[in-house]
Amino acid sequence: MGSPRHGAGPDRLGGSDAMGTTEQRAAGEDGGEPVDAPDLTPSTTAVLEDEHAIVRALWRGVDVFRWLALVYAAWSVWLRHDQIAHLVGAVAVLGVLTGWTILQTLRPMRTFRAYAVELALGCSAILATRLVDHPAVITAGAKTIPSIWPTAAVVGFAVLRGWRGGLAAASLVAASSFVEVVEPTANTVSNSIFGLLIGGCIGYCVDLARSSHAALGEAMRLDAARAERDRLARTVHDGVLQTLAFINRRASDLGGEAARLGAMAGEQERILRTLVSQTDLAEVSRAVSGAADLRALLRHIEGDGVQLVAPAEPVVLPRRVADEVVAAVEAALDNVRQHAGDDARAWVLLDDDGDEIAVTIRDSGRGVAAGRLEEAVGQGRLGVSSSIRGRATDLGGTATISSGPAGGTTVELRIPNRRTAR
Amino acid sequence: MTDQDDAASQDGSATNEHIRVVVADDHPMWRDAVARDLADAGFEVLATADDGRSAVARTRATVPDVLVLDLNLPGLTGAQVCAALAAAQVPTRILILSASGDHQDVLDAVKAGALGYLVKSAGREEFLAAVRATAAGEPVFTAGLAGLVLGEFRRAKAAGGGTAERPIPELTDRETEILKYVATGMGYKEIAATLFLSHRTVQNHVQNIFGKLQMHNRVELVRFAMERGLDLADPT
Repeated sequence: MGSPRHGAGPDRLGGSDAMGTTEQRAAGEDGGEPVDAPDLTPSTTAVLEDEHAIVRALWRGVDVFRWLALVYAAWSVWLRHDQIAHLVGAVAVLGVLTGWTILQTLRPMRTFRAYAVELALGCSAILATRLVDHPAVITAGAKTIPSIWPTAAVVGFAVLRGWRGGLAAASLVAASSFVEVVEPTANTVSNSIFGLLIGGCIGYCVDLARSSHAALGEAMRLDAARAERDRLARTVHDGVLQTLAFINRRASDLGGEAARLGAMAGEQERILRTLVSQTDLAEVSRAVSGAADLRALLRHIEGDGVQLVAPAEPVVLPRRVADEVVAAVEAALDNVRQHAGDDARAWVLLDDDGDEIAVTIRDSGRGVAAGRLEEAVGQGRLGVSSSIRGRATDLGGTATISSGPAGGTTVELRIPNRRTAR
Repeated sequence: MTDQDDAASQDGSATNEHIRVVVADDHPMWRDAVARDLADAGFEVLATADDGRSAVARTRATVPDVLVLDLNLPGLTGAQVCAALAAAQVPTRILILSASGDHQDVLDAVKAGALGYLVKSAGREEFLAAVRATAAGEPVFTAGLAGLVLGEFRRAKAAGGGTAERPIPELTDRETEILKYVATGMGYKEIAATLFLSHRTVQNHVQNIFGKLQMHNRVELVRFAMERGLDLADPT
């Protein structure tokens, strides 16, 4: 039950691009399935449904503007009705625009097709000015019949298709104006620039609103996923892990075949514990600040006799630095696997002392004879040296490789902590 | 983990019958198995408890040498049980046994006064050795716990070291060095050999590290226990 419901999350968010359908769909789901989305808190759902708060405000604005623009156009025609050659034609044009305005008010259509029709009406009305006015009046700089009415369509396209849509629609309106006047007047030029600005700016704002909403939705989804994982982890800890650990322990006491079964249970316990203890915090922080928690990035090295030892708090590095550190640790562990012997164990310690982040990789294997590494470098076998030392040096840090008296090799990486350098 | 085995075999062998233990775990099968293992090995199991409050009550009533405490008990967390016992000045030493890995809740319990920590996947011998070491007052230190403790001292230092009247004690360089060795899986013997120190000296350093960690928290814990209405006066 959990996973299909979970799958509905991204789907719903992804649907946010399909304008106008999101709200109905989300509402329908909630109404039809009362148990839906336990991982989405009421506030989450509210924000998701509020997706187009800005967009909806713009649509309302367009609806109001269309009427004001119509009244202004009618008033402009009335003011200069004695200049107009074919007043009946002008009134007919205004009548068509009024019809469309009423239609969009009674049944708002926020689709590409509807706004293509509106844009066509606006441009046609501009061109029609040529038919109802004397050319001399037009050249003198008279207003077009629809005046600013086509701007509603420009804003509509900006909301529908972002800055590209806004600019394209404004360009069409501008082009119509230029065709209509034949000889461009100062008004034509400034009005066109004004239209392009409105289309571009509003479209850009809508783009920003959409992308920030998408980022918010993504963060909420990660948060919900993490909450779900925490819930699962608690359940698994209280039940499955305890049982597996118990089987492992009792079976190893019994010995023989049972001990083998017990070892399998123990292995599964370890895997499951690693799995449920991972969090998505790294993903969230990466999305927000471009920084990464080294603990989360190194979680995968655990197992196979390797233990990650870390503080309870995140060890934060810039993403790029953290990736290099992870690569160096992986190289050191590869070296352990190749040279330290089969039964060697390894520990990776993360220590953030404020000035430096130290990563210590120690194994319980055979160790490196003093000078062996230098010898390897001298012979051109760079392996460990280049991948570990080179990476540390690139990051402004150091790498030391040493061997303990009891055997085993210790690699210590020291990376300066940029946070304190600020 | 070899460090605990070493410590236990040297200090606590053949004295199991004098070690008195209370086991607190909410899983009946675990509780019974742990109690049976302890009894079979010659320890005296005084009582068992299945939630946080009864763990506190029975430990206070019987005052065992060691409380084997599951970290996730209903009612009170492991840290809260430790805090309540510390506040009531019960001398019992606490060994945390947890199914979860090395996490904040383990660190909280250790700060609240637990002396050692072991994951439940540890073997029986390892567990018995850990109980013996705990009874002898020796911290049962895993690499993971050492990493958490080191991180806690680093955090405290970065945060400015507590309040004016109760500054968080800092680790000496030697203590930091030893903690880092423990955190990379070295046993006390190996550390002693590396630093040319005696086994005993290394153990003393480790105990001092624990002491510094817990000293700072004790006052806070008593206040916390009182606020939570944990009855500190009357052991029932």
